[in-house]
Amino acid sequence: MHELGLTRNIVSIVAEHAGRRRVRRVRLAIGPFACVEPRALSFCFGLAAEGTVLAGASLEFLEAEGDAFLIKDYELEEVA
Amino acid sequence: MCGTCGCSDPADPVTLTDPEKGERSVLRRGPLAGPGHDEGHHHHHAHGQGHDHDHEHGHDHGHDQPHVHGPNGEVVSLEQAVLAENDRIALRNRGWFEGRGVLALNLVSSPGAGKTTLLERTIEALAGGVEIAVIEGDQMTANDAERIRAAGARAIQINTGAGCHLEADMVAEATRKLDPPPGSILMIENVGNLVCPALFDLGERMKVAIISTPEGEDKPLKYPHMFRAAGAVIVNKIDLAPHVDFDQARCFENIRQVNPDAELIVLSARTGEGMADWLAFLRRQRREEPIGA
Ligand SMILES: Nc1nc2c(ncn2[C@@H]2O[C@H](COP(=O)(O)OP(=O)(O)OP(=O)(O)O)[C@@H](O)[C@H]2O)c(=O)[nH]1
Ligand SMILES: [Mg+2]
Ligand SMILES: [Zn+2]
Repeated sequence: MHELGLTRNIVSIVAEHAGRRRVRRVRLAIGPFACVEPRALSFCFGLAAEGTVLAGASLEFLEAEGDAFLIKDYELEEVA
Repeated sequence: MCGTCGCSDPADPVTLTDPEKGERSVLRRGPLAGPGHDEGHHHHHAHGQGHDHDHEHGHDHGHDQPHVHGPNGEVVSLEQAVLAENDRIALRNRGWFEGRGVLALNLVSSPGAGKTTLLERTIEALAGGVEIAVIEGDQMTANDAERIRAAGARAIQINTGAGCHLEADMVAEATRKLDPPPGSILMIENVGNLVCPALFDLGERMKVAIISTPEGEDKPLKYPHMFRAAGAVIVNKIDLAPHVDFDQARCFENIRQVNPDAELIVLSARTGEGMADWLAFLRRQRREEPIGA
């Protein structure tokens, strides 16, 4: 339903936080009552990440409580 | 495009229409109109981004530990609610409603359950007494705002385009235009959808979910999030109950199962049966002090 808008939120929050550094992985914490569908988020994520420092990054999910819906953390690409 | 949803036209903007003045303004561009680097909001406090390799991993809440080294790249802890921005604006809306003494209700249901019809009847019933202003949310058309206006109340139509729910900033903008006076009721008719309006706080006092008898008694079990989030549930189209084999006791049981505390009101917006209970509910809500006041 609304997962495209949500993934765009996620991408812009992480992109802003990461600055110019490239992100390889984002982890979300989602509770059973959060009312979001991880599969749909994954589907939209690639699209929303295109053209940002998150391009090509993977999206992972952690279980959380209640209606939690958080960006837990993100992993930067190794700087050679 | 989003696989699960009907957001088919990425160019659809979110617009606001005032049917009285015939004004239409664009609130937001389409959801695919590019990532929003234009807005300059968000204040992410980058709490002392110093590296600190000593602290334990896996501890979440609020310590100054933004950086940890994972097995590969550097892991940056964020712990940020995805809907933080919406919730912040919703909080501001709520403060405004409470400060002004406006009762704001967020009406949610599947398409066609009778939200607009109930509002029309409510406006007629309270005419000359309590002022009602309405924010109408639909993907397309200003039909519902026109109906509200014809019934005698002021309305602003929000068209969400591809969006399947209202968000707090849309309500903030529409409220600015409506400027509901103290003592009035602001009815927010959400987009007909039993899924995601549950996720988005608009700043309302309460969500009121409407279920209509032809939809079947099992809706509360199929869409538990919405019914859990509601402070009151209206069972509408009770006039049709005999024709659609609606089992009221079972419906109540199902609502109770996901939400034991919701107030239950049975009515027919068509025949007027049960409308007195709904109006009494509104009177009670208007008298009640907002939580925390
Ligand atoms: N029989 C009967 N029909 C009703 C009742 N309430 C609404 N309707 C009819 O149901 C249809 C949909 O009503 P609306 O008020 O437009 O429903 P809605 O929830 O606003 O619909 P959307 O805004 O499109 O989601 C209309 O044809 C109404 O006349 C009722 O109590 N009984
Ligand atoms: Mg309607
Ligand atoms: Zn939605």
